Amino acid sequence: MNALSRVFAREARLAWAGGGGAAGPAAFFLACISIVPLAVGPQAERLLAMGPGIAAIAALLAVVQTAERLFADDASDGTLELYVLMPVSPALLALAKVLGQAAATLAPLPVIAVIGGIMFGLDFAQSALVGLALLCALPALALIAGFAGALAAGVKRGGLLIALIAIPMMVPALIFSSGAGRAALEGEWDRAWATLLLTLAVSLGTMALMPFGIAAAMRARTG
Amino acid sequence: MNQIAEVLPNLAPFESLALSVAGLTLSRGDLCLISDLDLRLSGGDAVFLMGANGSGKTTFLHALAGLVRPDQGTIMLGDRPLDLEASEWIGWLGHVDGLKPNETVRETLRFWAGLQGERKPPIMAVLKALDIGHLIDRPTGRLSRGQQRRVAFARVAVANRPLWLLDEPAGPLDQRGRDRLAELVAWHRDRGGIVIAATHQILDWPGAETLELSR
Repeated sequence: MNALSRVFAREARLAWAGGGGAAGPAAFFLACISIVPLAVGPQAERLLAMGPGIAAIAALLAVVQTAERLFADDASDGTLELYVLMPVSPALLALAKVLGQAAATLAPLPVIAVIGGIMFGLDFAQSALVGLALLCALPALALIAGFAGALAAGVKRGGLLIALIAIPMMVPALIFSSGAGRAALEGEWDRAWATLLLTLAVSLGTMALMPFGIAAAMRARTG
Repeated sequence: MNQIAEVLPNLAPFESLALSVAGLTLSRGDLCLISDLDLRLSGGDAVFLMGANGSGKTTFLHALAGLVRPDQGTIMLGDRPLDLEASEWIGWLGHVDGLKPNETVRETLRFWAGLQGERKPPIMAVLKALDIGHLIDRPTGRLSRGQQRRVAFARVAVANRPLWLLDEPAGPLDQRGRDRLAELVAWHRDRGGIVIAATHQILDWPGAETLELSR
């Protein structure tokens, strides 16, 4: 097992062992998409139009609410210092850590998004595309949350800082992932697939760049 | 030497080490903590960093580990700056233990040793040397504070790094724990390793020098 798979596996295991795994984000996501109809009213057409956007917003908020714990515990218990002193690329280590946590905690969200889409009146194919778009967006959302979490680790009122940093950076992933669902809803499947690929491109770009930012933030927190 | 020699594997000595700190100046914000410090150590040496709270002991350790950039001065290991290869040379024990409460002792030590490239770390031998071999499958969150400190120290020992930087290593340890720690430090020094420990109390490490830091 190489160093990165060790970090990935450990972070996933710790997320389940100590943090309740996927239960928190899944419950938050489910609660968000469930209470929207209560707030905006039961009109079927309105809910149908809002479905893809609500799923994307709920996912964004679910990811942001996990960000504070992502690095705060490591900063307070000394793990962050140890990580920085390991003979492993800090950026790759950050990537493995964040994706390990995301795999353990965020994996159910696309599945719930499919169910949510059906709840909002989308047919199965449209709902599946909403779930797939969310799956494509999750790496970007998780890494941006990781970056904000690393910057805010050990900072008082870190949650506010995370929201201010992360949410604006998540806007492209939000726009493309909800856009893919909207295009499917309008029957424009070519545009839906193209937008889905753009969502994936945002995630791949984020995976290429953001680990360096997270690594720099980790180092800044240990100095 | 002691029972340590009986339980620990006969590891190869470290290659010849020479740590030199020259003209080191460290500050925190506007506050100058250490000014123009010189220090030379070679394999087998141990140093206690002593001083009041806030005198710069931990900051000095951070600088040695490359976590803090000095204002002035150099830290060399042999003829190379230490911070370039710190991760290959340093065994780090911070003032907090770096343990996860839901992870067992075995999982903890295996993970960190593996991350540092140790294929067959002497985990059980080191735990026995520290009198905590029976705790190997217990979650670290269910250990006493002193036992957790021993596990953190075991993490340093199994990584097979020549330069140990220890921040308050004996803080929560009882006398028995301090004895085991002293024996492990002696074993490390016998292999040609260097130990630098920030502490408020002189520990029973024969031949260790003291460096007093004062602002």
